[in-house]
Amino acid sequence: MKYSEQSIQELLEAAQFTEGLSSEMISGLAQHARLLKVEAGTVLFAEGESEDEIFVMLSGRAALEMTVPRRGRVRLLTVGPGELLGWSGLVDEGIMTATALVTSEAQLIGLSSSRLLELSESDHHFGYRLMRQTARAVSRRLVATRLQLLDLYADMEPESDQDLK
Amino acid sequence: MIRPSVQLTHDPWLAVPAHVTEVIRESPGVMTYEITLDDPQTHQRFRFEPGQFNMLYMPGIGEAAISISGPTDCDGRIPHTIRTAGNVTRSLAEAGEGAALGLRGPFGSRWPIADCTGRDLVLVAGGIGLAPLRPVIYEIVRHRDHYGSVTLLYGARSPSGLLYTQEHAAWRSEGITICTTVDRAESDWEGNVGVVTLLLDRLRLNDPNNTTLMMCGPEVMMWYTVQSALRKSIKESDLWLSLERNMNCGIGLCGHCQFGAQFVCRDGPVFRFDQVASILRTDDL
Amino acid sequence: MTDVEPEQSPAGFLNKVDLQTLIDQLHSEGYTVIGPTIDQAAIVYAEIHSVDDLPIGWSDEQGPGHYRAVNNRTDTYFAFTVGPHSWKKYLFPPQTLMSVAERTSSGWRFLSQAEAPVEKYAFLGVRACELAAIQVQDRVFLEGPWRDPVYAARREAALLIAVNCTQAAATCFCTSTGTGPDCRESFDLCLTELADGFVLESGSTRGNLIATKLPLTEATASQIESAAREQQRAVQQMTREVDLSGVHDLLVQNPEHPHWDDVAERCLSCTNCTMVCPTCFCSTVEDIPDLSGDRVERRRQWDSCFNPDFSYMNGSIVRDSIRSRYRQWLTHKLGTWHDQFDRSGCVGCGRCITWCPPGIDLRDEIVKLQQHADDADSRESGSEGTL
Repeated sequence: MKYSEQSIQELLEAAQFTEGLSSEMISGLAQHARLLKVEAGTVLFAEGESEDEIFVMLSGRAALEMTVPRRGRVRLLTVGPGELLGWSGLVDEGIMTATALVTSEAQLIGLSSSRLLELSESDHHFGYRLMRQTARAVSRRLVATRLQLLDLYADMEPESDQDLK
Repeated sequence: MIRPSVQLTHDPWLAVPAHVTEVIRESPGVMTYEITLDDPQTHQRFRFEPGQFNMLYMPGIGEAAISISGPTDCDGRIPHTIRTAGNVTRSLAEAGEGAALGLRGPFGSRWPIADCTGRDLVLVAGGIGLAPLRPVIYEIVRHRDHYGSVTLLYGARSPSGLLYTQEHAAWRSEGITICTTVDRAESDWEGNVGVVTLLLDRLRLNDPNNTTLMMCGPEVMMWYTVQSALRKSIKESDLWLSLERNMNCGIGLCGHCQFGAQFVCRDGPVFRFDQVASILRTDDL
Repeated sequence: MTDVEPEQSPAGFLNKVDLQTLIDQLHSEGYTVIGPTIDQAAIVYAEIHSVDDLPIGWSDEQGPGHYRAVNNRTDTYFAFTVGPHSWKKYLFPPQTLMSVAERTSSGWRFLSQAEAPVEKYAFLGVRACELAAIQVQDRVFLEGPWRDPVYAARREAALLIAVNCTQAAATCFCTSTGTGPDCRESFDLCLTELADGFVLESGSTRGNLIATKLPLTEATASQIESAAREQQRAVQQMTREVDLSGVHDLLVQNPEHPHWDDVAERCLSCTNCTMVCPTCFCSTVEDIPDLSGDRVERRRQWDSCFNPDFSYMNGSIVRDSIRSRYRQWLTHKLGTWHDQFDRSGCVGCGRCITWCPPGIDLRDEIVKLQQHADDADSRESGSEGTL
């Protein structure tokens, strides 16, 4: 998949994240966006660190992980094309709550959260649309996390084998 | 109501004698028992359709309804994948290979694989829910050219809960795309983490109007899978689920398995989504 | 089993003093006669050997949660309606052997009960609602994708001698369910009691053959008119009717109706209603091994959707509240039974009303569900804001 031929503008327009944004708004975004191709094993951002970029995945896979004392890095979720990574800069203080590790070669669009916030301040309509989309992404992530939390297969998979002959 | 296709005996209450000829330990607490019918003529006559189940009978203990998880041409050696949970499955696990038991069946409704020629198929399974879908996979592999693209999306609690992993490579080589995911990763797990519905969200369909989706797993998982499928414009009448309820007789006469107007043993366990859509979310029905 | 439409013989008349000849004839043909009799202050069904076993001079007084057998000081044989027993006690017994497993040197041998000899019963005194109830159970056990051979054998052997009701209890509502009070079909013989005897009709070849052995005279026009008048009294006494049109949709579309909470507070989930109901068919099959474990009987026993663990699955109970269990029972009986069996499961016999300890009357419950549904509809179409 060769994205370098397509303009970032086109890629952004195709991404679900920009639904509801006008072409002008998207071109405003594109000016502050960059296209990245990242190898497997690369850390996009690390838990606890400050990070300005928010990422839209175009292809490949990344894993979100958190460190737990004596358990090490625990993988929580795999993220795929169309999904957002690193929104803490946009919606909170900008300290990443998880580490994002690329697990298979990925193409992403990176956007500067601080720049997006500036744009939102000056154009509230744009800001509203941007936040709507971000909220939707966060909401979907929350539902997925809840489903994991429900441990739906718990009665199907006992913790250990029964002691049977 | 579905008329039975095969009747092993004149009396639907009567079991036929059988033995456990092989036991495979699939994952902690989950075993596959290959059951062979004792009488060669009955053995010859046994036929089932994907989605159906048998009542396995341990005399003195009771019966349990178990999905048939093998190929439809399994030639009388019938695999059943079961989680060890109640008295019957525990006694079966303890008795193991060589155990003598009884079998009544096959009962229940079938997956619509026979009506899917030329269609793209998506199978979504959660945990032990892959067991009732495995006969569909075998059917697909037998006639791969009858179907369009075939994708299996499979989730389990943890990597050790994924069933039949030793067969996945063979299925892939037969042109079935398989994506697996787990709710919780173990340290050496390199695959997807997250609920199986995310895999469906990410799946690109050739044509939602030409896609049939069959699912089996916990009801909450199936509900969210349905939502995801509908968002992708798959029609309600192309969504199929396998449900579970307390079964006692397996033949629609004891009343235990009723779910709304449906007898899960007789009108199901495989249902088309629109048949159960209105009652699926009432949890105490 | 009763066959369809034989040539209609003219009605006969059997003198009251000759009723024993009917019982004798049945005995000589090898039937065990089951009929009404007084036991523990109620009119129940049990084996009867002579007319003296019948509840001569007994009537009943019924209401929600109320039953009294009352002596009417006359020589009537059938001047009552229905008691706590129904004929399912014999066709679909409380406990039935379904199969036997015997251990062999190489495994197990399984023995069917489908051809086991069954007792030939003659049911004396089957009411119209009960004929309907037997039809309902016939559809469940004989007309589904899986036919029950154990029920079939008993049913085939049974002879049905119907009796037209000449009064109605306060709990009867067969006119609302369209299942009585007059017996129209599906019987072998039918009797209507008059002061001095019985107008007798036959409804099948088997019935005909028995009738020819009885000391009957041809029923006179006046006797036939009297019989019609007696039957009419039953219709007139049925004052508490209920409109059941649309009840399927009412129940199926209202699983969250607030009225279910109201009934749940009164219902004890005691299962009385399901035991006395002539159409309820829920059961559980259980294994009963002998001491050695080499011979195991598989017995089917009556169960009830009101029993908490009836819906037990994977470690929890699906219908874990009285509310959900009562809703299941009523929605099934009057609602989803239609989807399953193409008719109602209720025959208007009123037993569930009589034998309910807190006296829940499903006729009232239906009316309340209907009222609230109507209120909800009018609220929706009005402008009263959110509920």
